Amino acid sequence: MELTVDAINKTFISNGNINQVLKDISFEVDKGQFISLLGPSGCGKTTLLTIIAGFQKPDSGSIIVEGKKVVKAGPDRGFVFQNYALFPWMTVKDNILFPMKQIKMPKAEREERLKVLLEMSQLEGREGLYPHQISGGMKQRTALVRALATKPSVLLMDEPLGALDFQMRQSLQDELEEIWLRDRTTVVMVTHDVDEAVYLSDRVIVMSTNKGQIVEDMNIELDRPRNRKSIEYEKYKNQLTIALTKASPEMTED
Amino acid sequence: MENKASLYKGRSRYSEMKKRDIKERIYRGLVFVGVIGIWYFGAIRIDSPLLLPTPMAIAKALVSSVTDPEILLNLSITMKRVLKGFLYALLAGIPIGYIMGLSELAEKLLGGIIDSVRQVPIMAWVPLTIIWLGIGDGPTLFMIALSGVFPIILNTMQGVRGISKDYYNAARSMGAGPLSIFVNVIIPASIPDVLTGARIAVGTGWMSVV
Ligand SMILES: Nc1ncnc2c1ncn2[C@@H]1O[C@H](COP(=O)(O)OP(=O)(O)OP(=O)(O)O)[C@@H](O)[C@H]1O
Ligand SMILES: [Mg+2]
Repeated sequence: MELTVDAINKTFISNGNINQVLKDISFEVDKGQFISLLGPSGCGKTTLLTIIAGFQKPDSGSIIVEGKKVVKAGPDRGFVFQNYALFPWMTVKDNILFPMKQIKMPKAEREERLKVLLEMSQLEGREGLYPHQISGGMKQRTALVRALATKPSVLLMDEPLGALDFQMRQSLQDELEEIWLRDRTTVVMVTHDVDEAVYLSDRVIVMSTNKGQIVEDMNIELDRPRNRKSIEYEKYKNQLTIALTKASPEMTED
Repeated sequence: MENKASLYKGRSRYSEMKKRDIKERIYRGLVFVGVIGIWYFGAIRIDSPLLLPTPMAIAKALVSSVTDPEILLNLSITMKRVLKGFLYALLAGIPIGYIMGLSELAEKLLGGIIDSVRQVPIMAWVPLTIIWLGIGDGPTLFMIALSGVFPIILNTMQGVRGISKDYYNAARSMGAGPLSIFVNVIIPASIPDVLTGARIAVGTGWMSVV
């Protein structure tokens, strides 16, 4: 198993309010699987993803990546932030080189990998620009290949396309799929877009606002690239939409 | 397609900025001329070079003083002092600012002391520093450094505090250790604030020299 999420609990206490966000969350992800965490706003998707990344600790439970228990953030788990979190003081090239320098990849190998990544993300000729000089889509692609630079075992993405407009979003979904198909890195992606989840994922997990409980865990068995107009595609979308309504606050409030 | 579009957008934004720049400069010029004008007519009405000299007299005095070697020498001595005091302020302020920005404990421990020292009017230090450092350059330098050190500390600290958590998380998830995070994230992200502090420090340095 590439990634195991085992009985994760997480409670926040703020201003005297006790808020259990995740209760006993467990699932396993196979190597090379692209899974999406789908759920209404506030259900704990980001919290769970950042626990997997090691940015914060669960109250109890454990995350296991390639047999090793996660204790802190590390380059075996790449992370793509919703707001990209590119370093504005570094060029596109230096942003992408940064993780490779951190793991002390030899220079020749680094340069070779950089070339591949720039080609993959169609950023050739832009590598000398700073993040504020490129478009949102290009930032997104920079962030994606930066996270993939060290060939992590798991790629974690928090609403990676959330900040983009509809058209940009669809075209980047295709690019994301294309890039992913090259190495088939194991992916956990957070989204609240049903269409995006069905289009990209091998498997979709739907979390509820009620302590992050998993209300649906569905394999998407469609050939890639997927046809948004097919009947099966629609069926998956409908099923997930129903699961999503079950997961929303109105249904879980007592 | 996309490239051209974004290039174009960049260019038009750039020229827009230039236009705004020019406008601003024209306004500033007008205000300047206006102030000089009011000054001039005011001076003529009052008609006393002691109370309010005319702009022309000031300009003449300025020209004759910048060509007077003795005044120039004094100016260069003052500038050297301000520069030296400023360097001491940087040397002390930047490390303290970083330490206080990075460690909450340090901020709690040092914050109180710094706040109370800051409240002491700068002139109150004069007798004390003369006792400590004797007469001469010492007290002046101390005063310049002291007045400059606070804005440097405070701005540096705020700069470090203001760094987004995402940057730290991103760096860690890419394998960066503490030293690399300091060099590649904390320093570049806080430099603009450190420079703001330094700019203010030069200003207060000049003021305290007077
Ligand atoms: N550091 C924190 N302190 C207190 N409460 C928090 C903290 N982080 C998250 N929460 C709470 O935990 C819950 C889940 O937050 P989370 O960000 O994981 O949701 P999400 O599913 O990612 O939502 P969205 O789709 O809006 O991004 C929310 O109620 C939020 O207020
Ligand atoms: Mg979120």
